[in-house]
Amino acid sequence: MNLDLLAQAATPPSFWNAPHGSTELWTKIIIAFVVGIAFIFALMAAPHKMRRPVVAFFTFISGLYYVLYYVWPVPVAKEPGTLPLNAAENVGFWLTDALPVVAKFSNVLSGFLLGLGIFSLLRVHGRRLFKMQKDWFFSLVLILSILLMVVVGYWDWYTRLDPKTSSKLQDPANWTSINVARDFVFDGMLQQMDAAMFSLIAFYILSAAYRAFRVRSIEATILLATALIVILSLMGAVEYLWGSGVASMFGFHDTVLADGTKQTAAEAMTAANSFGGNFTLTSIRGWIQSTVQTPSIRAIDWGIGIGALAMGLRLWLSLERTSGGNS
Amino acid sequence: MFDINLAPMLAQYYVGDQYRDTGWFGVLFTLMIALFVLFNIARAGKGKDLYIRRIPGLNAIDEAVGRATEMGRPVLMVPGLSDSVNAIVVQALNIFSYVSRIAARFSNPILLCCYNAAIYTVAQEMIRDVYQQEGLGDRFDPDSVRFISDRQFAFAAGVSGLILREQTAATFFLGDFYAESLIFAETANSIGAIQVASSTQPTQTPFFIAACDYVLIGDEFYAASAYLTRAPVLVGSLVGQDWAKLLMMSTIAVGSILGSFLMGPFSQKMISEEKVAGEYKPTKGFDEQPGPRPVKMEDTIIHQLLTPAPKGDVKVKREPDPDAPAPTDAAAPAGGGE
Repeated sequence: MNLDLLAQAATPPSFWNAPHGSTELWTKIIIAFVVGIAFIFALMAAPHKMRRPVVAFFTFISGLYYVLYYVWPVPVAKEPGTLPLNAAENVGFWLTDALPVVAKFSNVLSGFLLGLGIFSLLRVHGRRLFKMQKDWFFSLVLILSILLMVVVGYWDWYTRLDPKTSSKLQDPANWTSINVARDFVFDGMLQQMDAAMFSLIAFYILSAAYRAFRVRSIEATILLATALIVILSLMGAVEYLWGSGVASMFGFHDTVLADGTKQTAAEAMTAANSFGGNFTLTSIRGWIQSTVQTPSIRAIDWGIGIGALAMGLRLWLSLERTSGGNS
Repeated sequence: MFDINLAPMLAQYYVGDQYRDTGWFGVLFTLMIALFVLFNIARAGKGKDLYIRRIPGLNAIDEAVGRATEMGRPVLMVPGLSDSVNAIVVQALNIFSYVSRIAARFSNPILLCCYNAAIYTVAQEMIRDVYQQEGLGDRFDPDSVRFISDRQFAFAAGVSGLILREQTAATFFLGDFYAESLIFAETANSIGAIQVASSTQPTQTPFFIAACDYVLIGDEFYAASAYLTRAPVLVGSLVGQDWAKLLMMSTIAVGSILGSFLMGPFSQKMISEEKVAGEYKPTKGFDEQPGPRPVKMEDTIIHQLLTPAPKGDVKVKREPDPDAPAPTDAAAPAGGGE
């Protein structure tokens, strides 16, 4: 193995980047910001009829990148610092290298939008708190929790900025009070509450299963029978007893092999490739899963895939113009 | 390890890294489906009357909103737990626009809970548009579209809390749902809300079926906006999807029949040549001696279409780029503005 694989190549110079902290980088950031703001204002000021083609154009260009990225042949075994072999590879290299830049456009947009999301939360709960509406106390807890998590999270992040300190803080013995606080609110509280919510599903499954498996119709009865077989096949004792019963019907019994190992009647039946082997609970479950369940899931997946493809196509080509219809 | 010099073997092996396993056949198939969709959109645009079968889950939307209006309780909508505004979210929001339009006409309150801030922004604009189109812009409450949390179970707790506090009369769970699907559905069920649900995750569909009144299964979710609006573009697209499904079904049927004839128990066809790394070589029969052997899946045309190139590591000889920066041991500086 080539140990140089561990070395990272510096980002190749291009229009989209500049050295860290350089004037060129700051100039590019400011120009991009000003151009972006100007573009948004121009779009807002433009007549409605003009907006649609502009949005459609940018949607098409953005979509085209990802379509090409997935469809155009990706250079086989591309290594950094090498030249493309031909024109097709040249495009492939360009598409692959542009991905981080395009992905960062999305990240920047997401950053702005997260701010809007937090603004929504603060507006709803701030109003409830200041007007002392019903359940205002929960809103107070929410806002305090957000503030606490932001302060503690950023403070903890700041203490770990220095690589030396960061490595030292890997050991909890070196933690300061802020690191302990972050651990308490994040790992100690948030994660545990997540787990508590997740565990509720066990009870909900029980109540939903009770309703679903009641014998009300032919479909519900088939569902009940199928579920029962799958559940019973996962119970060792039941599976053993059922298997032994089926095996004895086909003339197989518990035996001891020449090397001294014990073989159950069901194992002997399976080893002998007997027809009765098809009737053990495990075999029936396997048949249900491979012949009924898997094809059904694949069929649903296929339908969803085609639907997503058609939807994506309509969005990409700006053919999707309705919003809830008028009827 | 295959040492490939691309220039002389371009036609045979150079299919792109993503096609080494699946070949170009998959892309051509996808393009054909896209053509079906576009062709039918054009056909529907010319006024051709296209049929859509009845979908009970979508017929129930009017009933659910009507019931909420009678009870004076809100309608709750959740567009799933997608991480960004993707096709699934747009489809869910299209359906919610329809629901909101009916709710707006009856002055019924709505609640739309978002998992992602980007979805929240888009949803708010779409719902505001609906109210304005109905001439009821002043009735739109910006707080009816809310960002709850972008953590799965915090979102589940927030939405469940809203369902219980607001005693919603109708709930619509449409989109990408995961483990929290049953938490939502059972909470809404406990207060007797009418539920219409659909998850694009097939593993969650059984949970919705167990707990909800109406479930849109699989691509019924994508058929919803066509069904509700009957817009020619959407109906045409739906017919195109059906053509694609027919194509797939016939491929499976023809493949099964041909496969049964080729490899079935009554027709064990023997072959004396097999394709190895793109070249035909004599086969090895019993006891590894040269001779004919029964045909295997790998010998079929469809398998060779889908797996055209040898698997395994491939090394390609390329010239070094003289302008490329030298590799460094340290990580590239953060925030380089790339």
